[in-house]
Amino acid sequence: MRPRAIRKPTAQTEHKLDLVFHALADRTRRTMLSRLMQGPASVSELAAPFAMTLPGVSKHIRVLERAKLVTRKPVGSVQQCALTPAAFESASVWLETHRSLWESALEGLARYAEDDGSR
Amino acid sequence: MMSSDADDPGRLRLVVRRRIRARPERLFRAWTEAQEFVRWWGPRGVICERADIDLRVGGAYSIANRLDDGRLVTISGAFELIEPPGRIAYTWHVHPGAAPGSRVVVTFLPLEGDETEVVVTHERIASAEVAAEHKRGWVGCLDGLAAFAER
Repeated sequence: MRPRAIRKPTAQTEHKLDLVFHALADRTRRTMLSRLMQGPASVSELAAPFAMTLPGVSKHIRVLERAKLVTRKPVGSVQQCALTPAAFESASVWLETHRSLWESALEGLARYAEDDGSR
Repeated sequence: MMSSDADDPGRLRLVVRRRIRARPERLFRAWTEAQEFVRWWGPRGVICERADIDLRVGGAYSIANRLDDGRLVTISGAFELIEPPGRIAYTWHVHPGAAPGSRVVVTFLPLEGDETEVVVTHERIASAEVAAEHKRGWVGCLDGLAAFAER
């Protein structure tokens, strides 16, 4: 993509970001995305880690679909979910995931280095 | 703090800061010596099973992360800059995964009272740069985007 000056996001971009951030604001949905980053999964595979009914899981998947992070299509007799290529490129997903990673890593470093007394 | 141009992923950059009660030398060591690194590196839900760190410019590192569901995610890359005890920079690739590679710069800024501000700057590598890295023989392995980060 060609570099360009930072400009004010259009209303359409803002709306897309709203959907993405709403989708990411839920821990269950973030866990589902993490799973899908490893490859496609059926709805019941996605549901497995949660004590949740299939309709409940389906609702979460719909939120991810609306944000264009996930697509769902029938494969044989099951519904298979996959991340969209756009999801990998999503600035919001990238920032959110890595911010959380580094905050948690620096927390670990602080706990380690502040406790060992060898400053 | 984070900044982004959401329409231009190649320019994406994330900055995370934290003040820590330890000196830069101490933190630089914790970050660059494998036997220390494995003792603190562990985002939520992750066990760092192994770290290999060849601390020289061009040297490779690799971090094995065991997720709480049993999957193994490896982060690896090569050092681009080593300036003890103030700064270190390296490339960052996650396997398995599908997103482009990125680069991490860690700065240890000394503060009064033997404290340090640690600044992590993590940026996506623009696609033109990724192509150049490929030419230099650094396989732009695909970045799985920290499946562990939110676990």
